[in-house]
Amino acid sequence: MSCESVTRDMPLYLYGELAPEEEERLEAHVHGCEACRRELDCQKRLHRALDEHAVEVEPALLAGCRTDLMRAVRHMDTPKAARPGWKETLFGFWNSLGAMRQPVGALALVALGFFAARFSMRPPSQQSGAAVTPEAYAYTIRSVQPDASGRVQIALDETRRRTMVGGMDDENIRRLLLAAARDEANPGLRVDSIDLLKSHAGSAVVRDALVTALLRDPNAGVRLKALEGLKNFASGPETRQALAQVLLTDENPGVRVQAIDMLMQQRDESLVGVLQNLIQKEDNNYVRLKCQTALQEMNASVGTF
Amino acid sequence: MDPHAAAAAGARVAAQPEEWELIRSVQKGDRGAFDQLVRMYDQSVLRLAAGLLRSSEDARDVYQEAFLKVYRNIHSFRFDCSFYTWLYRIVTNLCLDHLRRRKVRKEDAAVLETSEGPVNRMDSLEEQRALGNPERSLWNRQLQDRIGAALDELTPRERMVFELRHYQGLRLRAIGEVLGTSEEAAKNCLFRATQKMRLALGDCV
Repeated sequence: MSCESVTRDMPLYLYGELAPEEEERLEAHVHGCEACRRELDCQKRLHRALDEHAVEVEPALLAGCRTDLMRAVRHMDTPKAARPGWKETLFGFWNSLGAMRQPVGALALVALGFFAARFSMRPPSQQSGAAVTPEAYAYTIRSVQPDASGRVQIALDETRRRTMVGGMDDENIRRLLLAAARDEANPGLRVDSIDLLKSHAGSAVVRDALVTALLRDPNAGVRLKALEGLKNFASGPETRQALAQVLLTDENPGVRVQAIDMLMQQRDESLVGVLQNLIQKEDNNYVRLKCQTALQEMNASVGTF
Repeated sequence: MDPHAAAAAGARVAAQPEEWELIRSVQKGDRGAFDQLVRMYDQSVLRLAAGLLRSSEDARDVYQEAFLKVYRNIHSFRFDCSFYTWLYRIVTNLCLDHLRRRKVRKEDAAVLETSEGPVNRMDSLEEQRALGNPERSLWNRQLQDRIGAALDELTPRERMVFELRHYQGLRLRAIGEVLGTSEEAAKNCLFRATQKMRLALGDCV
């Protein structure tokens, strides 16, 4: 094999695109050729420098894209005729009221005053041991229905922002943290919530939430926090099953490495199969090395036969 | 090298029957199933677009355009190739259009004019740069700038093959399928791209 052809094949070698026998020939040549060894080292350094040029997509960008897409899809699905503008809706409704316009207008003003007062004067209240403080209050009126006696029925949705303070043993606090751990729009909130919940993985509900986050959360930071929480439960069958799935499907090498470490806490036959399977597919050198070491520690062969 | 691909590819193979079920539901008009399908691939799609176009706004446009195309045309998906290949074909075509338009306009992709003056578009994308002492950071910064310039010198097709192999971790055979060409042609394209990168950057690594 000439130096020229070795140099030509080096990029393919580094990308793992050479056939095994070509790989062996190249390695044998490089072993005995100082110039080619230097060239290979240079290309490896170039690879590493290029790796650092990788773009990490901000979770906020992904969340924004998802929201925009779903909005566009909803818009596509709605027939044009069924999409009146807000002005048409408002004027249409107002005109339909006819003689009832005056009392409805008056009652709407009364309702506005009532809610404004609630917003500015509502005192803090207690709920199930957790201190609750109202901080903001908003509402959306869905319908206004006059009746024969001149009264009006108004249907509205209330959105209230409150602050709850309580210990981790408070059921309400825990329920809210579990909900926050599933908040698709805010990965930072999910990281913080999982971080708090992870110290309470003794609870089956919390453990379920950690496993769900580990398997489904798009943010690697959240998944790593979930792994930390499951560390003391790595021998449980459900956790092990989730860890095995993570090994084969998680796109983040850091998460895969953690999963190997946790699975290695309890070595069994099924783990050998999972690791052998992984090593066939794994492209990350460090993870592959980790797998290899784990298999050697279990006296298992690296390949499958 | 590619940190994401192999495990994801393994999952894709394993999940195919489930995925086809999902696609059939989308074809019947199930929007929830579409949402699920999007979430299976949208991170990779956005990463590919952002990596290739080095602009979060352009990546956002490609993301939206690609998945809307999928939604509009999913009824024509005949299961004769993997959904992943079909989707990536759409995404790579959109990205190639962007890259070609950029080449024609000789657009400076890195700079965006705003009311507060010119801003580097890449500032909105987080790059994995080494942290450490200031001298090293400066050196890294310069190296990364040179890498950016060297990537810009590749033809759109070389840029695409390089991105798919180096950053997305696709095998050459899969790249050939996505780009509608042979594995050999993809290999030659990758070879040209790496040779150009080596010539442009060999002295600084």
